[in-house]
Amino acid sequence: MTEEPQVLTLCCNWCGYNAADQAGAAKIPYSPGVRIVRLMCTGMADPYYVLRAFERGFDGVLVIGCHPGQCHYKSGNLQAREQTDRLLGVVQALGIGAERLRMDAASSSEGPRFAEIVNEFTETLRKLGPSPLKEVA
Amino acid sequence: MTGGTRKIGVFICHCGGNISDVVDVNAVREFAAQQDEVVASTDFRFMCSNQGQARLQETIKEKGLDGVVVACCTPKMYEDMFRGSAKEAGMNPYLLEIANVREQCAYAHRHEPEQATEKAKALVAAQVAKVRNLRPLDVKTAPIHDGVAVIGAGIAGIHAALLLGNAGHKVTLIEKSPTIGGNMARFDKTFPTLDCAMCTLSPKMNDVFNHPNVDLMTYAEVKDAVRAPGRFTLTVVQKPRYVTDACIGCNRCTEACPVSGPKSPIKVESEWNLGLSPRKAIYLPFSQALPQQWTLDADHCYYFQRNHTCGICAKVCPADAIDFTQRPEEVQVEVGAVVVATGYRPFDASQIPQYGFGKYADVYHGLQVERLLSSTGPTNGKLLKKDGTPPQSVGIIHCVGSRDEKYRSYCSRVCCMASLKYAHLIRERTGARVYNFYMDMRANGKGYEEFYQRVASEQVGFVRGKPTRVTDQATAPEEEGKLTIVVEDTLAGVVLRVPVDMVVLSTAMDPEDVDGLLASLKLDKSPDGFVKEYHLKINPTETAVKGIFVAGCAQSPKDITDTIAQAGAAAMSASMFLGSGSMTLNPLVAEVNPDLCRACTRCSEVCEFDAVRVDPEALVAIVDETSCEGCGKCTVVCPTGAITVRQFTKTQIAASIDALAPKAVAP
Repeated sequence: MTEEPQVLTLCCNWCGYNAADQAGAAKIPYSPGVRIVRLMCTGMADPYYVLRAFERGFDGVLVIGCHPGQCHYKSGNLQAREQTDRLLGVVQALGIGAERLRMDAASSSEGPRFAEIVNEFTETLRKLGPSPLKEVA
Repeated sequence: MTGGTRKIGVFICHCGGNISDVVDVNAVREFAAQQDEVVASTDFRFMCSNQGQARLQETIKEKGLDGVVVACCTPKMYEDMFRGSAKEAGMNPYLLEIANVREQCAYAHRHEPEQATEKAKALVAAQVAKVRNLRPLDVKTAPIHDGVAVIGAGIAGIHAALLLGNAGHKVTLIEKSPTIGGNMARFDKTFPTLDCAMCTLSPKMNDVFNHPNVDLMTYAEVKDAVRAPGRFTLTVVQKPRYVTDACIGCNRCTEACPVSGPKSPIKVESEWNLGLSPRKAIYLPFSQALPQQWTLDADHCYYFQRNHTCGICAKVCPADAIDFTQRPEEVQVEVGAVVVATGYRPFDASQIPQYGFGKYADVYHGLQVERLLSSTGPTNGKLLKKDGTPPQSVGIIHCVGSRDEKYRSYCSRVCCMASLKYAHLIRERTGARVYNFYMDMRANGKGYEEFYQRVASEQVGFVRGKPTRVTDQATAPEEEGKLTIVVEDTLAGVVLRVPVDMVVLSTAMDPEDVDGLLASLKLDKSPDGFVKEYHLKINPTETAVKGIFVAGCAQSPKDITDTIAQAGAAAMSASMFLGSGSMTLNPLVAEVNPDLCRACTRCSEVCEFDAVRVDPEALVAIVDETSCEGCGKCTVVCPTGAITVRQFTKTQIAASIDALAPKAVAP
């Protein structure tokens, strides 16, 4: 079994997902523990997904959308930011640790930025060690 | 394979080695075959090939599939195509999902084949889990509105508008300046043929101006755009010219206008001549401008700036064409497609202070030299220094701003050839000594290398090196009264000081400042600031927004040859789109389960598109599917889970998350 931190990455269809494609096409390496789920917009990233991911043993959750002001749907990324910020306290209170949830932005052409975000996050998770929920049956 | 109710097929593409050289496709195929409700699992060299699609269709028919996962490249490439094939084979296209094992596995983790394979399995499992939870969707269509707007009337927009008009489409050509023609109309000659620019452009300008299918709006800007299925509504601001179309083009107003005269406190420079000549407040940008309708610049006019004390233009006008009461007017233009052809502007050379632009009188940028060489320019085509004398020597500096990490990292692609053209024309017209200071000579078009060889044989000096500075500080007698270019000749390995009378900076191409337009059209920019195309290689004229196309330097720096080619391609794409008559409505939008809805209105409060409202009598939220964009904001704020986005329901997404998770459990 892999030692790599397992990261659920919720990407919007327009920026985050395309940035991941660009990173791949440019062969910029990032951790294979990064698993992407494509949403149309980070605005549909329900807190339920984040909590479910931790419950299912992910070490961290990343939400990657468009830069503020660049949302394909005007403000979905802003709602996602609000939801994520609110969720940070919940994740902390549950003992998972707020450092394991992060929201960031990469435009559709920012492949290197995508790799930078996920690599940096993976590194943080590596230092933190496995999620405490991983051991909970 | 266990006994579920669905029949799912998994197809794993090798991508001719791009995937299979890294990912163990046999292992993925065998893994997929073990997934619940998977009844067929196969791999193929190229799923996107005819044979690949035929295999997909045969399997759908043979096994009666009601779900498909294709593990291949990004869904941005072939999702639509595979869904089309599935539909032809009788399956609902929205039961097909892509597992992106090329970009996200084989490419990203090519040095870790085992991990890439494990991840590929997880991605396939996630999409199988999602497909298991998908249901068939109906596809609705909306008619595409008649007509196309072309924004920008430079050579790209003119060419696209002409072709679209010839194809029978109603075209609205919108240009922000008072005349059509764009930057090309400022040029004297064009490389490599040395054709007179206006001799090739002017007939096209006239054709488009007189075209029965082209409605021309000059001195007009797009202020806002609203998109609905099959239709764009553009709000265009028609700026006031204060001159009506009764104008007969006699020029008496310009002759009489006191602005920029020797004693006039109000002075203004000609934008057309890039600040090289004064202009009057009422003017025609250049003699072949179209329309031949004068424009009054209220910001520099005595009538508007000095309490209506002037008005001499109205007095001398024999056609009664001056109308000081005009106001900006907003016009709604409804079209089915848009071509963005907003062009370029020269990089501001004063950002590189060591080259002395704006400091020394005889340092010019390329577009200014075009005007100095043009017979309609400020010097009637004579290359003269600011003091009115011809230069004895001219230095041309390439790559000013371009290929420079501090300014623009991209190559502007035309400057090498434009610089060679300046060298040729300057030698021909003045006999001056000409030096080119270049980094690399890029002459990669039809007839370009030949043109380079020709200019190289015309006693033009070439120094390979990027000048460090231009200075008027003389260190030797021959530098007195000259501008000295300091450069390391990197071929000879020596630092040279080259005194010249005139310096030409071949500046980078910057995209025109159209941020507001791009935001209202919802178009992205590439990191270089130019409009982002749908796909750089295979779809350079379309954009991510269906019905919006891009042509010319709006997309990237290019020469006239390439601009014409791309404008033609954009026109063809737009014509095909309009000609298709109707477009598929995105079925992946919100829907409401009325049994769960409590009519709390939170969905309508967060909706940016007025796509959902609560019916006050039925007390239930109702989605307008033609307005809904499917972003799903409403699904997160709904307290009961009544509103969902199709194919992105919580059940469907959670199924994917579970399948990807380290603690994957049997569903």
